[in-house]
Amino acid sequence: MLVVLGLWWTLTSGCGLIDPNRFPDPAETWAALQQILTPGYAGGTLVQQAWASTRLVLLGFAVAVTTGVPLGALMGLSRRAESLLNPAFLLLRPIPPLAWIPLAVVWLGLGDGAKILVIWIAAFVPCVINTWTGVRGADLTLVAAARVHGADPVRVLLEVILPGALPMIFTGLRLSLQACWTTLVAAELVGTLYGLGRVLDSAYRDVNPAMILVAMVTVGLLGAATTRLIAALERGLTPWQV
Amino acid sequence: MKDIRFDGVGKTFTTRGGAACVVLHDIDLTVQAREFVAVVGPSGSGKTTLLRMAAGLDQPSAGEVRVGGRRVTGPGPDRAVVFQHFALFPWKTVRQNIAFGLRCQGASRARQTVAVDRYLALMGLDDAADRYPSQLSGGMQQRVALARSYAIEPDVLLMDEPFGALDAQTRTVMQEELIRLSRQEPRTVLFITHAVEEAVYLADRVVVLAHDPGRLREIVDIGPTRAAEAWNTRPIHEVMELPSFTHLRTRLWRLLRDQIRPGN
Repeated sequence: MLVVLGLWWTLTSGCGLIDPNRFPDPAETWAALQQILTPGYAGGTLVQQAWASTRLVLLGFAVAVTTGVPLGALMGLSRRAESLLNPAFLLLRPIPPLAWIPLAVVWLGLGDGAKILVIWIAAFVPCVINTWTGVRGADLTLVAAARVHGADPVRVLLEVILPGALPMIFTGLRLSLQACWTTLVAAELVGTLYGLGRVLDSAYRDVNPAMILVAMVTVGLLGAATTRLIAALERGLTPWQV
Repeated sequence: MKDIRFDGVGKTFTTRGGAACVVLHDIDLTVQAREFVAVVGPSGSGKTTLLRMAAGLDQPSAGEVRVGGRRVTGPGPDRAVVFQHFALFPWKTVRQNIAFGLRCQGASRARQTVAVDRYLALMGLDDAADRYPSQLSGGMQQRVALARSYAIEPDVLLMDEPFGALDAQTRTVMQEELIRLSRQEPRTVLFITHAVEEAVYLADRVVVLAHDPGRLREIVDIGPTRAAEAWNTRPIHEVMELPSFTHLRTRLWRLLRDQIRPGN
């Protein structure tokens, strides 16, 4: 940490190797951080802006999980659902999530709805694909063992297939959450009053590289923190995994 | 206690290319109530298919399987299966694994606890009750699987090479345990194995299958010798050194070797 800080200072203000208009030095960045923390920047303080973004990410993620995991499970369980839905997936997957922005705005206007829709589109696919793979890869011997000990199909699903798919589902959740954060800024470009995307956009217009850096690092830290939360949840829910 | 009857049972699989592959042909076999029957045969003789049909996991293409006089159409609480690779639920503790079948039957909490505690004690698993299967040795895991099957008190136990994945030492211990268990809690047992010694040591009768297609080759009666020499109450190494044991083992080896040798 200190080494990085030292290197950063040396390269920027120390020997002037990097033009301060291209990359901010530590002092400028510290000032930008102070500015956004207390008076605020682009219409809000850092906490307000970060919360506005986190709220969108969590909403989009929640919608993606509650739709993607059941759909993936259905595709994993039923050949029919799989052959029906797979072609649609093949067609929709190559379309970048950002390409949906115009349509999202036409459909839902400039409110949160459009942003959540774009985040959902990006986050939905990893949920579906990984749940699908996990459920399809269910250990058939375990399914047979459950059946011969008297389990009905619902119990087989809840106590054998889903727990077995849980590690894959969590892989999907992690990828999905990352997709939420990476599309966030783009989604906020749809037009927003608050949010880290708004901060980035304003800082870009103000040619304020220090503020851009502050916003980017904040996105990175929030993304890492939420990923940690998912990992903790996984450890709690899969205690049998070493 | 129920018996198992195979009446003219055949099984044909269709391969991807559409060709028919006969796995079992015209099997007539009755396992009497409380009888322990072992099935040996070369690989590809349909041993496991025979067991899966009795379990209701596969359906015969010809003939029918009856357990206690009732035609088998699917899995049922009167039959439990012990699998070669244990097939324990990795996300359930030992206690939860053993209780699984009872929970499926809707048994009360109290009844589950009583049964689980009993089998934990019987199988020497007391200290492992709250561990996960991955924290246990292979032998311990198979004890849990046996306990899980015994706990639902089935009439019929179907065992598919249950000790095949264990090392030689553990295997001998488990064979002795199974003899002890079947003395305490007799069940009708169909036991699949490829180990001739194991079959002779455990079974009342040993069924030898021929392959290509799988069919009944011979049935060797062990029961009278076992009873006359009181095998069940003697340690395994002592039994395996008896002349009668080696004689039966050699006889079965010959029968099996004839199967494997080409041209027969």
